[in-house]
Amino acid sequence: MASIAGASISMTSFSSSLKLTTQTSSIGISSLRSVSLPISGRSFPSLRLKKDASRFRVSCAAKPETLDKVCEIVRNQLALAPDAVVNGESKFVALGADSLDTVEIVMGLEEEFGISVEEETAQSIVSVQDAADLIEKLLEKK
Amino acid sequence: MFPSLLRAYSPMKMRCCFQRSICSASSSLVPVQLPSPMETHFWYVLPDQVKSVSLLNQYMGLLSPIEKENVLSMPGHQLQKRALLARALVRTTIARYQINGHVDPRSLKFKKNIHGKPEVVWQSEDGWCQPHLHFNISHSSSMIACGVTSNSRIGIDVEEKQRKIKNNVLAFARRYFSLHEMEYLSSISDSEVQHQEFIKLWTLKEAYVKALGKGFSAAPFKTFTVQVKTDSKRSFVLAEDLVFEASEIMVESLNDPKSLTSSWQFALLELAGSHYAAICMEKDKSIKVGMKVPVRLTAWKTIPFVEDECVSGTDAVMPIGGLIKL
Repeated sequence: MASIAGASISMTSFSSSLKLTTQTSSIGISSLRSVSLPISGRSFPSLRLKKDASRFRVSCAAKPETLDKVCEIVRNQLALAPDAVVNGESKFVALGADSLDTVEIVMGLEEEFGISVEEETAQSIVSVQDAADLIEKLLEKK
Repeated sequence: MFPSLLRAYSPMKMRCCFQRSICSASSSLVPVQLPSPMETHFWYVLPDQVKSVSLLNQYMGLLSPIEKENVLSMPGHQLQKRALLARALVRTTIARYQINGHVDPRSLKFKKNIHGKPEVVWQSEDGWCQPHLHFNISHSSSMIACGVTSNSRIGIDVEEKQRKIKNNVLAFARRYFSLHEMEYLSSISDSEVQHQEFIKLWTLKEAYVKALGKGFSAAPFKTFTVQVKTDSKRSFVLAEDLVFEASEIMVESLNDPKSLTSSWQFALLELAGSHYAAICMEKDKSIKVGMKVPVRLTAWKTIPFVEDECVSGTDAVMPIGGLIKL
């Protein structure tokens, strides 16, 4: 009796924290027990997937030519020294860009690639790679 | 040890303290009283004036481990110095107000609000209410500035007057500014004046969005118009204060004309002959809608721990827009 009561308590707390439907009551007690262990995050595959998702996104990279073109436009806008390193990982802020520079860069990219970038999206571009990926996405839609 | 930078003035004189407080090597920060309602304190540092390596090291010592990491992750000496000075300016400026006994710039903790706007975390002891100090920083390559208010949201932006715009100004305005603003810029025939007006508009719009503190998506540039009504410029003496009325600056939201855009007040300045600075602050709640109340401004050029120079009332601070009381 006690063990059943114990299982039902953990089931309730489990379902309330995950907003599961009452379908879970049909799952065998043994599987419930294994899932209702203290929620440390480790047994939650969804969380882990989220963490990798951004890496996943970046690895579907833009074409090298696109990336090169973006680097060139960034160099021009920020008047960087010829030996300054600019690659996909370069963040605009780290290259000395302020918000006006970022907007100018986006405008330069729009003109170069014949695309249109929403202002909210433009503000979320943090790195050269972000810009290149966005360009590829917009070009695909055309 | 050093007198606090109180606004000492005699009637009919311009209210500026030409005090240059030069601290010795035992560096303390000159304490300052909090701004009163509808007052902004504006602090700025010119990176080119900060050359001493030992001073820069001293600033580095003020930063949190994460801030240090961010500074050192910047590529190149110039960018590192700029990032360092920005953090040092914020910490030392807020420390001057000695809130809750916080005198050490190192002890301040910061966080970002849900929209990403930086705020101070006040470690309140039981029973103490949270102080209402608001701040905002801005940097261009040659100036770093920090605006401070009590009880009023604030946003600031500084830009070099001569800053090059790579794109065509009108094309830029057509793309990013409101129709009204673009038309205003189009009506200016002199390209240099047009360039200057563009930069001024940019700083005002930036300052507004930063004051709102809700991120750029809350107020995309195209969705609001900043209007500068240039009536005749005049300055007059009101009691012992010097009031500049350069023009009226208003903001209007295009999506929601009835929104509380009238609760925001602007000031536009020319700083050190080289920069435009825009300040946007929330009007005090006690002020009735439609009442014209000037922004009281006190400005300091500073090298923290070394020198503070009160510059409001000098040529270094020229009001060029808004209703400003110095």
